[in-house]
Amino acid sequence: MFKHYIFVIHSKAQAVLQMLTTKINKPYKKWLIAIFVLLLAGGAVIWWLFNLKYEDTADVKVDYTVNAIEFIKEFKKDMAAANKKYSEKIIVVNGTVSAIEAADTTANIKMIDSSSAYIIFAFQQQHLNEAKQLKPGDKVSIKGSCSNGAFSSILETEYITFKRCAVNK
Amino acid sequence: MKKTILSWVLVLATGLLFAQKKTTTSAIVSFDATTSLDKLPKADNKTVIAALDTKTGKLAFESTVKSFTFSNPKIQEHFNAPGWMDSEKFPTANFAGTITNLKDVKFNKDGVYKVTVKGDLTIHGVTKPVETTGTVTVNGTSIKTESNFSIKLEDYGVNGPAIGAGKVSKEPLITVTAEF
Repeated sequence: MFKHYIFVIHSKAQAVLQMLTTKINKPYKKWLIAIFVLLLAGGAVIWWLFNLKYEDTADVKVDYTVNAIEFIKEFKKDMAAANKKYSEKIIVVNGTVSAIEAADTTANIKMIDSSSAYIIFAFQQQHLNEAKQLKPGDKVSIKGSCSNGAFSSILETEYITFKRCAVNK
Repeated sequence: MKKTILSWVLVLATGLLFAQKKTTTSAIVSFDATTSLDKLPKADNKTVIAALDTKTGKLAFESTVKSFTFSNPKIQEHFNAPGWMDSEKFPTANFAGTITNLKDVKFNKDGVYKVTVKGDLTIHGVTKPVETTGTVTVNGTSIKTESNFSIKLEDYGVNGPAIGAGKVSKEPLITVTAEF
């Protein structure tokens, strides 16, 4: 499909170029061709940027693999340093499911330590059912993008949020 | 004997206190800043912390900015960058307010109640007073709060060039949903 579009764009571009250049003097031809090629390249880059999508997290390279309780400890010890190290990185977290907070369109998994500090994982759309099948007490390995850690003044505890998660298989 | 009674009173008082303050760590905040030129600037955050005190009507939300999820990685990158939300410098967005017509809500009776909420919204390090309407839905032991409102990005010091170019709405629609 993509190749077909490229072929059609290429053919149309050639036709327009031919039409433009046949009636124009030679010294201007090279400049016109250069401008046309630049415009075409610019258009292709914009098209590519607009159509970028996140990959399935299950297929993305892992930056770190951690144990849930140790991971929370690291954030509690030095939040700024932990955020610098882990924010926006793909991390596999091994731990035990403490709670599942499910609604119509969500199923967040939580791993909580003894002081009520927690990690919460929001799942990628295609992996929502994996989260819904988990139960408190299940040993699980979850892969996702670590957003960051913060201190909640509502709950008076530290928490770490993850997005675009999948059960690591 | 006195000590035992005092202990029981304390246990009961604590129980009541917890019963009136409901919390969730899975509230959802969505925003839609799309325009006719660009359908990409919209995102949601499904790991928002929320609290509702059914006794006083106090309502609070805490949201980590980096948890907003976009479909397009480039838009997500721009959203968190210094020219926009600057999430390194301002990692959270918060709301603290009160339901002003709490007497109209019967938390012990199923129904959908219209409410007005007044409070302070902090985004990008700027705090502004906001007033909006919403609903509280009581269904057995479940309480669901919902509200839609718009904010002016310039009020919060968010002035990315794409706003001027018409690619991002000057007044995005914010939707907040919390189930307790």
